[in-house]
Amino acid sequence: MVQFNFFRREVNCKIVYYGPGLSGKTTNLEMVFKRTPSTSRGELTSIATEQDRTLFFDFMPIDLGNVAGMKTKLRLFTVPGQVFYNSTRKLVLQGADGVIFIADSQKSKLQENLESLKNLEENLKIHKMDIRTTPLVIQWNKRDLPNILSLEELEKKINYLNVPTFEGVAMTGEGVFPTLKKCAALVLEFVSKQANMTGQPAYNPGMTGTMPSAASVQGASQPNAAMQNIPQSNVPIQSIPQPNAPMQAQASTPPSFGIPNAPTVPQAAFPVNPIAGNYAPSFSAQIPQQPQMPKIPQMPQMPQMPQMPQMPQTPMSQPIQSPQPQQIPGKMANFQNPIFKKASSTVLPPRTQGIEPQEDFNMGQREDEALQSQEVAAKPGMPSGEKPLFKKFKKFLDEKNKG
Amino acid sequence: MKDDDRLKLQRLVFYKEDILLIDKLLNTFLKRSQAKCAILIDKEGHMITVHGDTKTYDMDTICTLLASTFAATREWARLLGEEEFSVLFHQGKKDSIQVALVGDRTLLAVIFDERTQLGLVRLMSNETARKLDEVFQQAEKRRVNPVETEFLGEGFSDSANKLLDDLFGENS
Repeated sequence: MVQFNFFRREVNCKIVYYGPGLSGKTTNLEMVFKRTPSTSRGELTSIATEQDRTLFFDFMPIDLGNVAGMKTKLRLFTVPGQVFYNSTRKLVLQGADGVIFIADSQKSKLQENLESLKNLEENLKIHKMDIRTTPLVIQWNKRDLPNILSLEELEKKINYLNVPTFEGVAMTGEGVFPTLKKCAALVLEFVSKQANMTGQPAYNPGMTGTMPSAASVQGASQPNAAMQNIPQSNVPIQSIPQPNAPMQAQASTPPSFGIPNAPTVPQAAFPVNPIAGNYAPSFSAQIPQQPQMPKIPQMPQMPQMPQMPQMPQTPMSQPIQSPQPQQIPGKMANFQNPIFKKASSTVLPPRTQGIEPQEDFNMGQREDEALQSQEVAAKPGMPSGEKPLFKKFKKFLDEKNKG
Repeated sequence: MKDDDRLKLQRLVFYKEDILLIDKLLNTFLKRSQAKCAILIDKEGHMITVHGDTKTYDMDTICTLLASTFAATREWARLLGEEEFSVLFHQGKKDSIQVALVGDRTLLAVIFDERTQLGLVRLMSNETARKLDEVFQQAEKRRVNPVETEFLGEGFSDSANKLLDDLFGENS
């Protein structure tokens, strides 16, 4: 399923290479990897057996760039083709937006191709998808081999769904890109239609000021021009021509949110609607539709958690000592050490240093004893800084259990 | 149920106030648990949001692998008669990772190192997962009648085709 992340301004599509074993799915992907500029693609991750047969999947992301204001990514997967890996194949197929079926053109492989296509149909059905409506492209691979079926035969016998097909020799890269391009185009077209069909409430224009809609923006007749002008969060667009949009608005958190101390969000600074220019009116116009908005500051939030031990002041301010359990007598020795002092440390002492192996083995037991016995905590001679901390933490745990 | 209704229901949708709340929760979580990085992804491996130190990671791959690992263990769980394993933990020499199910559609992955401990991370992430789930449920309730908004114009696929030409055209 396509994911629209309006927060990060991304559209993610998943394309899966499907087909019988050894038909050339991984080779296709490797070719894409080799021939795509490294600036547009991520790493090729392959989960394969020692014999280089795909075990789980191969994966590679491709960054298409900015499509109508959205950073668009294709995520390419291959499935393991071998029949007995059907369960993993099903997993990889989950959430696919488009499928590239790599068929082996050799005469002897006809049956395997048909079985695999059938299997694709079944697996799609499990994910409640219909092979007839899912964007699908077939590649007749291995056209350079001697014992192959003619294109007419292949079309007749395998392409009963009448989908676009391409000839290919994956080893040399022939046909690899046309296939992918067609599938990507189908997927993106599908995405676009789907979005228009279902509506896309993910980011209400009035709320964010990023997506112009007829309701909130007068200039909606040029929606795409507007979208392209939207400042991006991750990949800043530098000085893109802004023919249609007045640019009084700068990307910043609009003051009209009314959220005191709104957390600074690293990924995006909620760009102001470039068309509306002025954020506030467009926002207030939307309030009736989104009555939840004003509630934000009062919504149930976690920050209270009052019983949580305030990360202890004493150990925090103290310089970290490397663990020297033998300096502290009694059973609490190890208990006092671990969490909070380590947590507040800036320089990491290697964990093995200063800890005897035997003590490590017994540590859990000692901690258990300590937890079981309140008396231990109240033992005289305890450093005063540690006791309240322990109690607080215990209290916190108790309340958690009750709740 | 019609196809588009189904799609509407299936899609994970977050409003801005949800994201603000999620951010707040994750920030607090990172502070309290002293973990390095918290990633919220959906079960299909799409990142929803990420906090903390992520500079050195290839996020796309990490998210995909996390989701696949989770999916794989779900199958595994099913074979054992469990619905799914709700927490996964992978321990490394320096860095470790814990993945916890939030609600039934998202995963909270936490990467942490020796500065903190598994117990603390687990405690805090349970707490956070619960609160995130509340946020998601609120979001779910709200979108019973989502505002119909056209958001991707005709230009989307045209513009995409152009980019595809740029990227793959000369290669083909």
